[in-house]
Amino acid sequence: MQIRQIKNIYLKEMLDTLKDRRTLISMIIIPILIFPLLMFGLGSLVSSQVKKAQAREKTIAIYGEEFGPELTKRIFSQEGLVRVDIKRDSLAEFLHAKVIQAAVEFSPDFESRLSRGDTAGVEICYDETEVKSKFALGQIEQVIRQYEAELVEAKLKAVSLSKESISPIRVTPKNLASPEKMGGFFLAMFLPYMLMILCMTGAMYPAMDLTAGEKERGTLETLLVTPASRLDIASGKFLAVLTASFVTGVLGTASMTASSLMGFMTFDEASVETVSATLSISPLSIILVLVLIIPIACLFSSLLLALALMARSYKEAQSYISPLMIVVIFPAFASLMPGFEFQTSHTFIPIMNTSLVLKDVLLGTFEWERIGLVFLVNTVYAAVGIYLAKRMFEKESVLFRI
Amino acid sequence: MVKAVDQADFECRPGEIFGLLGLNGAGKTTTLRLLSTTLKPTSGTASVAGYDIVREPEKVKSKIGFLTGNTALYPRLTADEVITFFAKLQGMTDGNIEERKREVFELLGIDSFRDTKIDKLSTGMKQKVSIARTIIHNPPVLVLDEPTVGLDVITSRAIIELIKSAKQQGKTVIFSTHRMEEAAKLCDRIAIIHNGKIAATGTLAELQKQTGLSDLEDIFVKLAGE
Repeated sequence: MQIRQIKNIYLKEMLDTLKDRRTLISMIIIPILIFPLLMFGLGSLVSSQVKKAQAREKTIAIYGEEFGPELTKRIFSQEGLVRVDIKRDSLAEFLHAKVIQAAVEFSPDFESRLSRGDTAGVEICYDETEVKSKFALGQIEQVIRQYEAELVEAKLKAVSLSKESISPIRVTPKNLASPEKMGGFFLAMFLPYMLMILCMTGAMYPAMDLTAGEKERGTLETLLVTPASRLDIASGKFLAVLTASFVTGVLGTASMTASSLMGFMTFDEASVETVSATLSISPLSIILVLVLIIPIACLFSSLLLALALMARSYKEAQSYISPLMIVVIFPAFASLMPGFEFQTSHTFIPIMNTSLVLKDVLLGTFEWERIGLVFLVNTVYAAVGIYLAKRMFEKESVLFRI
Repeated sequence: MVKAVDQADFECRPGEIFGLLGLNGAGKTTTLRLLSTTLKPTSGTASVAGYDIVREPEKVKSKIGFLTGNTALYPRLTADEVITFFAKLQGMTDGNIEERKREVFELLGIDSFRDTKIDKLSTGMKQKVSIARTIIHNPPVLVLDEPTVGLDVITSRAIIELIKSAKQQGKTVIFSTHRMEEAAKLCDRIAIIHNGKIAATGTLAELQKQTGLSDLEDIFVKLAGE
């Protein structure tokens, strides 16, 4: 094994990879853009729709208004609620056609029951799937509850009681989770999952291009005739794939962290705490995340390389590799499952072990023994993967697959 | 078990163009791959430029310039980057590389497109870059696997020129082909290979005498049939 040769091959593969538009897109552009696009693109689309729905006026039909004149008056004195008259049997049709947003119906005994002290019924028809309709429902309910509160207060006064007498107990929940824990929570759930998916996707194109792609172009044989040994060639390619994997992972998660920080600031003023807490994720956590991801990136890179090498063409390599995505997604999901506790048996399941440990680390929990063990286990797996890749490169039947 | 190459036994000398003549599937490519150490023999060995292919494959590789009909270049790299890469793999120093590139690029007329990406080059240009790659480290032995296959007469010329000038420089040239006219025109000595076995070896004159026929194609059919 010659370091010089490995370096020659590694540098050439990196040069070649960076000149490949497909790899550039999957390695740099997608990981950086995908989160801002999702967060802001999708988010702002949703929120603008919501604002639009809130702003426009809503048409309401009323039935039996003679049974609830006071409430009817109050409802239509609300800004944005406009009265319209529709035949009772056409109600559903007009609701679905979005001509009206809601319909209120007072039962005939509404007023009489109220004055008797019984519960009086009012029905509100709406469409749960339409944003505007839901807003209309909310507004109408608010008016009704306000009216109800006034009625109740008056009744209590009449018997010399106060509002407090019917709500004798006040419950105050007190959250003692540290700011780090709270702030890191969102990231702690998503980051491990996304990081590993990104490492996987980042390794895919280069792994295929550097093996099956070379076979397709006929350059693999030419490479094999040079003084560089099979091991040198395998190592140089492995390091190139590993670099791509790592870069994609890091860029993607950095982008995700930045986007979610800005997302918090834009959408939820109440989460200023969350923002400062997210920013306070310690450098130690970040370093640990980067260190822990290395054996995983090595494992992905070596396995993808070995798999892609078996293929005769790029397309064939794709068909071998795509199913692998599913194998990675499921264990990586572990970090997203709330309440999924780390058990000793999990230490030995690759990907899942890292997902869970990374979540803990991001929440500020450092169980050193567990972290060390997971790192060790993953390193062993990575070593096996690298060995497999090396063996693949030595098989003439694989290299010269026609 | 099918033997791709069955007890091949021949010798190529410096300053000589040796042709391996056979049909598709005869075992030409396998023989050349064995000689260039990309494949390992199940038994037997060979010596190339003084080095044993089984015991010292890396040394053998540094003494060989290998060329196939498929240009086998990296489409996204420039001609200059490709040649530099292979030169580095051959262990040439940076200074050496620059000097040798100057020589070779001028010889082959590559200077005008040295910074163009390979996939933007014409077939003829790619062929020249492949040739440059083959000789950049000035190897004493040239191993060419059907180098003119798929090329038209004009583009084949560069290859023919390479073979002739290599002979003039005293290099050992072995190339495989199934084109009888090409072999007859270029080769000093020919080995006829059929079903993995070497049917006959010799100069064109010797083969003509052996078979009593003058046309290489007829000679081939007769010897391959036996």
